[in-house]
Amino acid sequence: MFNIKLSVFSATRELEQKIDAMHDKIIECSMYFKEAIDTFLKEKRSQNYRRISKKIKNIERQADDLRREIESSLYIHNLIPDLRADVLQMIENIDKVINEFDEVAHKFYIEQPDIPVQYQAKFKKLIGEVSECAENMAISSRAFFRDFATVRDYAKKVYFLEHESDKTWASLKQDVFDSDMELAHKIQLNTLIGDVADIADRAEDCIDAVLIFTIKRDI
Amino acid sequence: MDLSYLFYLSSGLFLGWSLGANDAANIFGTAVGSRMVKFTPIAVIAAVFVVLGAVFGGAGASETLGSLGAVNALAGSFMVALSAALAVYLVLRMGVTVSTSQAIVGAIVGWNFYAGKPTDLGVLSEIVATWGFCPLISGVTAIILYLGLKKLLKCMNLHLLTQDQLTRCSLIITAAVGAYALGANNIANVVGVFVESCPFKPLKIGSLLTLNPEQVLFLLGSLAVGVGILTYSKKVIMTIGNNLMKMSPMIALIVVLSQAIVLLLFSSVSLHDFLEKNSLPALPLVPVSSTQAVIGAILGIGLVKGGRGINWNIVRKIVCGWVMAPIVALSLCFICLFFLENVFNMTVYLPG
Repeated sequence: MFNIKLSVFSATRELEQKIDAMHDKIIECSMYFKEAIDTFLKEKRSQNYRRISKKIKNIERQADDLRREIESSLYIHNLIPDLRADVLQMIENIDKVINEFDEVAHKFYIEQPDIPVQYQAKFKKLIGEVSECAENMAISSRAFFRDFATVRDYAKKVYFLEHESDKTWASLKQDVFDSDMELAHKIQLNTLIGDVADIADRAEDCIDAVLIFTIKRDI
Repeated sequence: MDLSYLFYLSSGLFLGWSLGANDAANIFGTAVGSRMVKFTPIAVIAAVFVVLGAVFGGAGASETLGSLGAVNALAGSFMVALSAALAVYLVLRMGVTVSTSQAIVGAIVGWNFYAGKPTDLGVLSEIVATWGFCPLISGVTAIILYLGLKKLLKCMNLHLLTQDQLTRCSLIITAAVGAYALGANNIANVVGVFVESCPFKPLKIGSLLTLNPEQVLFLLGSLAVGVGILTYSKKVIMTIGNNLMKMSPMIALIVVLSQAIVLLLFSSVSLHDFLEKNSLPALPLVPVSSTQAVIGAILGIGLVKGGRGINWNIVRKIVCGWVMAPIVALSLCFICLFFLENVFNMTVYLPG
């Protein structure tokens, strides 16, 4: 019985590390995404871009594996029965944000959009806001497990950044459609900008759920 | 020992069985209901600690109950226990939560009335006062524990999973303490009325431990409580659940701990003596209702949280049960004693 108990404790410790690793992945992914788009704007679909894009794909795969391991561990060891569904949803939400980073990076690789120089500053701004939004989401979500009093602080930041990214997205969209570019080009850029902005929206959805779970977690 | 004694004792044992089946839900109901702990291991732990509590700590509360009415004939004891059990059953059938402690007090007063013995009003008022004090103290204890634990958790910054494991271990430990307290405090309800006519001889267990006749009686009664826990409490836990307020495992821990503390306060002879020796107000050693202690604790926490989430309809029903249980038990006991004496021609009390 003592052995069983010890194994449960070690499983708990292992699972804690996996949940932490899952949050690390989102921060890692967001940083590589920023780097990837910067590289794309400078070099287009270069070897360099291909390398960074692959790194994002790898992170996405590792996150998938981690998600599955966390899910099965929670059930096998019957951990946090009262909050298990919430934690599983959080982990799945994190995975979805990582997937979106990967999808957008891949879209750039496939479509090779031409982003005119005059829009690049705003585009970089949007990428920066979206990445920061996702990073703050990860910090807030991580806080749920250890220091849930600070969840709200980072959630506020996420909301603010999502709002800012919405503004940048709207302004960029307007600029694109006001330009003399061909309609097909305009539509392509509009879809891509929309996909990037969606990452922040997804992060905001995650935070909405985390805040609800935090209320439930408070004794 | 006369075998008929065991027959008479059966009503007490039945009461013990139903107490085990009902009150186990208070001790580890939420732990099992929320799937934090499996039923069998925790039920075994609770059954063992109920026996330990009854045998080694049951004397204090039993003495007070004896001073309320020393039921001195076996048939009388049988009927007092049976009518208390029947009152619990009847009131429960009306869908009202009920206390075995109150039912047994009602039944003893009924026996006093029938036998023409004076009821010690001092003791009675002391006992009735505890019915109010018990949930009150439990509520205050729960509030203190709740606020303390909340602060402690904030300082410790434990990972959710570590906290979950610690909660699990604490639930098991608290269930053991709660079961010990339940045994110590409530064994008087089960076999307290048989103490006067106890025919047992001292029982030697090994070379170190000898149980006096009263402890042997408590051992028998607590075994019935243990059987009740093991055989029927799961059904009660699964049926009743948390209908007063939805509880998280952490709240359940606080509730069980407050209940255990209160039950121990009302049954610990050494604490009672210590307080009296130091001229401090000592709590009377009285069997109190674990259900009421639990309700007090839940209400305390509910009020600290702003009163949200409390099902006040159920609270009303519970208060209704507090009034009904002793009255129903008293009336039943009186009527049944009459039948037992006049129809079955049995001695239900000894004069003098």
